[in-house]
Formats: sequence, structure tokens, C-alpha cells
Amino acid sequence: MNPDFSKIKRKSAVVLLLSMVIFTLSGWAFIKSDMETGPYKFIYPANFGNRINVPDDNPSTKEGVYLGRMLFYEKSLSANNTISCANCHQQARAFTDGRSFSTGVDNVPTSRNSMSLTNLLWTRKFFWDGRAGSLEEQAAFPLTNPHEMGQSLDVSANKLAESSVYHQLFKIVYGDEAITGDRIVKAITQFERTLISCNSHYDQYLRNTYQPTPQELKGLALFMNAPQPQTGIRGANCAHCHGGVKNYMELFHNNGLDSIPKDAGIETLTGLSSDRGRFKAPTLRNIALTAPYMHDGRFKTLAEVVDHYSDHVEESASLSSFIRGVSNETGGRSLNLRPDEKKELIAFLNMLTDSTFITDPRFSDPHLLPVQKFKQSSK
Amino acid sequence: MKKYYWVVIAIVAGFLSNPVLTKAQDASKEASVKVSGEVATSLELKLADLQQFQQADVTRKDRDGKDHVYSGVVLADILQKAGATMGKDLRGENLTKYILVEASDGYQVIFALAELDKGFTDRTIILASRVDGKPLPDGDGPFRIIVQDEKKPARCIKQVTGIKVLFAK
Ligand code: HEC
Ligand code: HEC
Repeated sequence: MNPDFSKIKRKSAVVLLLSMVIFTLSGWAFIKSDMETGPYKFIYPANFGNRINVPDDNPSTKEGVYLGRMLFYEKSLSANNTISCANCHQQARAFTDGRSFSTGVDNVPTSRNSMSLTNLLWTRKFFWDGRAGSLEEQAAFPLTNPHEMGQSLDVSANKLAESSVYHQLFKIVYGDEAITGDRIVKAITQFERTLISCNSHYDQYLRNTYQPTPQELKGLALFMNAPQPQTGIRGANCAHCHGGVKNYMELFHNNGLDSIPKDAGIETLTGLSSDRGRFKAPTLRNIALTAPYMHDGRFKTLAEVVDHYSDHVEESASLSSFIRGVSNETGGRSLNLRPDEKKELIAFLNMLTDSTFITDPRFSDPHLLPVQKFKQSSK
Repeated sequence: MKKYYWVVIAIVAGFLSNPVLTKAQDASKEASVKVSGEVATSLELKLADLQQFQQADVTRKDRDGKDHVYSGVVLADILQKAGATMGKDLRGENLTKYILVEASDGYQVIFALAELDKGFTDRTIILASRVDGKPLPDGDGPFRIIVQDEKKPARCIKQVTGIKVLFAK
């Protein structure tokens, strides 16, 4: 054999080996570069306050948030591989689904309306009745509920374990490759905590970067003020339960939908008749995007909602004392707003839409983008 | 005649004291206030339990702009009963303690322990259960904090369900 030739051969073997090393490393580096690692810094306006809710045993990391986002959109976490969290929580609808009741793997409607997922970093009580005390506790529910995703956490962990992608991701996030129900839940909640909405026209108005129209300003005043028929101050008193810069106060009330409610709400948990028909006063952020409204999705439009508070409040012993007898007319039973005032109020509610939130690429389905690339490079 | 009279009384008394029947009238559970946190003994107070304390009145205006007489128990007495550090024990690091009061609608307010202690203030803050001699109305009661002379009513928290004594961290 020609010695020169063997030299070339040896050289090319080295090159081949090196390029293989580089290739495998680059696959690895791709995950790393695609997904920055390290503590996740929540960025939000100072007026939102720092009463945030992150458990000590689940601090947010960039890699954890990325894994959580993958899992939020992961259909194999459902019994028939067709449903992910995102089915009922769609970004374009501020993470609701446009239906009165949602359907999961068994096509049986859920008992309540899907809820918007926004600014959960500050939330302490989850669900319409506030029954879950943390996002971690909350997430296990839809994953395993037979009417939602319907699969035990152990089965979910085993299914994910079949994918090499998840092995690597769990290793990066948790230090070893073990895939467990607890780790699945923790990563999902890390992603949920990043769903911060803080750029509506209302936020911009508070930052002095948006000048509301005269109609919006009148709506804002109605929203904030309690009516005082004696002094002629007109109001809708909404801020009493839906106020604050985040448009959410974590209060639970009976807002007069029914005198005998079909769904007893918090009474089912506490056994107290004063909790009958009592539900979370949900966030009004992005409210124009999250129809239909109320725990049972009974109202299709904001006009119907405003008509309810203005003209159709139903009396009962558990009706909130912040609604009972609050009226723009002396002795009135509900607000009695004029048609122009209703329009103003709705104009204000439309100021709460944050279009950057619903188009933010950080919250979109990651399976449609880099992961496909990542999957190819790892194979 | 007299015999029948006693029989009737016995039957009526039997009905009234029968727990099954009285429960059936009010299938719902009874509301209570839980006192917990930095206390020697946690308490769960129902309406009847408030009667075991000395009663106090506070007069203040409500939303209607008129004066009303609220009756109940001085908060400090309840905290004392639970063994919170009131009176002579309210010094040093105990001055960094506060109570977090929570209502059934999730609303919360706080008071520093020193705001409640007779050694610090003459202002009376009570856990009220009656207004003008009647039980508090639906939506306000059965328990409401009434703060004497405070200009805004925001800390006169309605439908109180819990009082937690805590250290400021
Ligand atoms: C089949 C539809 C469906 C699926 C799938 C689903 N959810 Fe929900 N989600 C709902 C409904 C309905 C509610 C309200 C339920 C209630 O209050 O009882 C809700 C409530 C929530 C809440 C409470 C929000 C608040 O403000 O209190 C969170 C958080 C949440 N879901 C997260 C998730 C996550 C994470 C997943 C995936 C693991 C998921 N959901 C999957 C329908 C769904
Ligand atoms: C006493 C507290 C209270 C007041 C005052 C109040 N709300 Fe509500 N609001 C609630 C509660 C509680 C719910 C949920 C009720 C349910 O689903 O059973 C709710 C639900 C809503 C919803 C539907 C949210 C969703 O995601 O489905 C809208 C919109 C709304 N309120 C707007 C208003 C407006 C506008 C006003 C003022 C006219 C107002 N609210 C005043 C407590 C209140």
C-alpha cells in the first residue's frame, strides 16, 4: 500500500472522527443555545407589586420554563394523544377556548367555563371556586381529570420517557433524566408563571403613553366609581371587585346571576349557605377576547354582561353586599345604567386587551418551531 | 287539664332540643372565625362562643351615612384568650407582630398588634355580631370587624372567617 495513501486515510479518519464529535456536540450545543439556561427573571411593571407566588421548591429557570412550554402544548399528556392544555387555553383567546364548556378526551363537557391564564404569578387561589392553593396543585387536576386530559401522572411520565428529546430536556432542567409526574407539573407551572400581560391600552394609560378617547375615559370613571344617587355621581362600581392595576383582586362573590343557582359554587366546598352561588371574580384583563362569560359561559357578549349588572341582578341571601341595592337610582335594585353609559363601560373594557400578550412568540407552541429542528439534529 | 299542659310542654321541649330536627331546619353549616398563628391555643369561635366574652359597643357610620351601634367583643380580648402576646408581653420583637384578617370573599386586611392593645390606644376595635340590637345583615355577617373612628370603612371587614397572628418577616 502506498504510504502516502495510508497517511491520507489516517488523516481523513481523524477528520471524520472530529466531525462526528463536533456533530454530536453541536446537537447538544443546539439545545443549550436554543434554550438559554439559568434563573428566569420575571419582568413586570413596578405598579404590579411584588406579592408574587413562587414556591420555594419550584424556582423558575429558563430551561424549566422552556420544558414547561413544551409540556403545555404536549398532546401525549392526554389519554388519547389529542388534547393538550392549549386546547382549552389558546393564546389567541388569552388562553381560553371560546366555548361555554370545554370538552376533553371523553367528549363530556367540563362543568365550568375555561379560564384565562394571565398574571398567574400573583394568583393564590385557583379555579372558579378557588379550591387549589397553588399552580402545582392546580395542574395535576386537568392532567388527570377524565373529562380533561384523563391520564395518570405516572402514565404521562412513561409516555414522555419514550422520547429522547424529553430525556435530554429533563436532564438539563433537573440534573438527571428521571421523568416524574411531579417534575412534569413543576415545569408546566414554571411556564404558566411567565404568562405576564402588562401592555394593554389601560396599562399604557397608567404609564402615560396612551391617551384614552372621551368615551373610554367616561367608561373608566363609571368602572371606578360607586354610584351615589344622592349626590348625582354616576357609577358602575366594577372596581370594587375587578379593580387594581392588574384588573384582578382575587375576590369571591355571588354577583346575582341566579336567585337559586344550578351550580352552588363555593358552598359545595364549605357547606355555608352564605357561599351559595359564589365564584371567583375573574380577571378582566383581555376580557374582550375571552367570551363567553361567567362560570357557565352564559353570556355571549360584553353587552349582555353589562345588561346583567345594570338591569337583571337576581336577589338571594348570598348576593354580594357590594351589589345588593347599589344603584344609580334611589331605592334601585341594580345599577340602572343609561344606554350611552353601557357603551362607555364596554369601551373601557376593550381598553384591557393586550395584543402583544396574545401574539408573544415566547408563549406560542414550541413544537411548531425550534423543536422540529432540534429533533432532526438529535437524530 | 294541668296534666295535658305538662305533656305538651314536654313534647315541645323534646322537639326543640332534638339536634336532628334543629339541624334539619338549617341544613347549612354554621359560620365561625378561626384564630390561629402565633397563639398558644387556636380557637374556632361560633356566634354562641362570643357570649362568653365581655360585650362591647362601638358606634360608627355605615354607607348610609348614619350612626349605628355595633356590638361584639373587643379583638384584644379574643387574642388574649388565644394566648397571643398582648398586654405586658407586647414588647421587643413582639411589636413586629400583626393580625391578618380574612373574609369569606378572600378580602384581607391587617392590624399591627399594637393597634389593638389597650396599653397603646383607647380606640376600640371589635369583632361585631350585631348592629342596632339585631344580627348583622346577610352579606355583612355573621362577624364583622368594626374600627372605632377610622375615617375609611375599608378595614371594617365583613364576613370575617379567620384571624391569623403573624410575625412580619
Ligand atoms: C378540557 C379543557 C381543559 C384542559 C385540557 C385544561 N384546562 Fe385548565 N381549565 C379548564 C376549565 C374548565 C377550568 C375551570 C375549572 C373549574 O374552575 O372548575 C380551568 C382552569 C384552569 C386554571 C385556573 C385559572 C385561575 O385563574 O384560577 C389553570 C391555572 C389551568 N386551568 C391550567 C391548565 C393547565 C396547566 C392545563 C394542562 C395541564 C389545563 N389547564 C388543561 C379547562 C381545561
Ligand atoms: C361584588 C363583586 C362584583 C362586582 C361589583 C362586579 N363583578 Fe363582575 N364578576 C364578579 C364575579 C363573582 C364574577 C364571576 C361570576 C360567576 O361566574 O358566577 C364576575 C364576572 C364578570 C365578568 C365575566 C368574566 C369572565 O371571565 O367570564 C365580567 C365581564 C364582569 N364580571 C364585569 C363586571 C363589570 C363590567 C362590573 C361593573 C358593572 C362588574 N363586573 C362588577 C364579581 C363582581
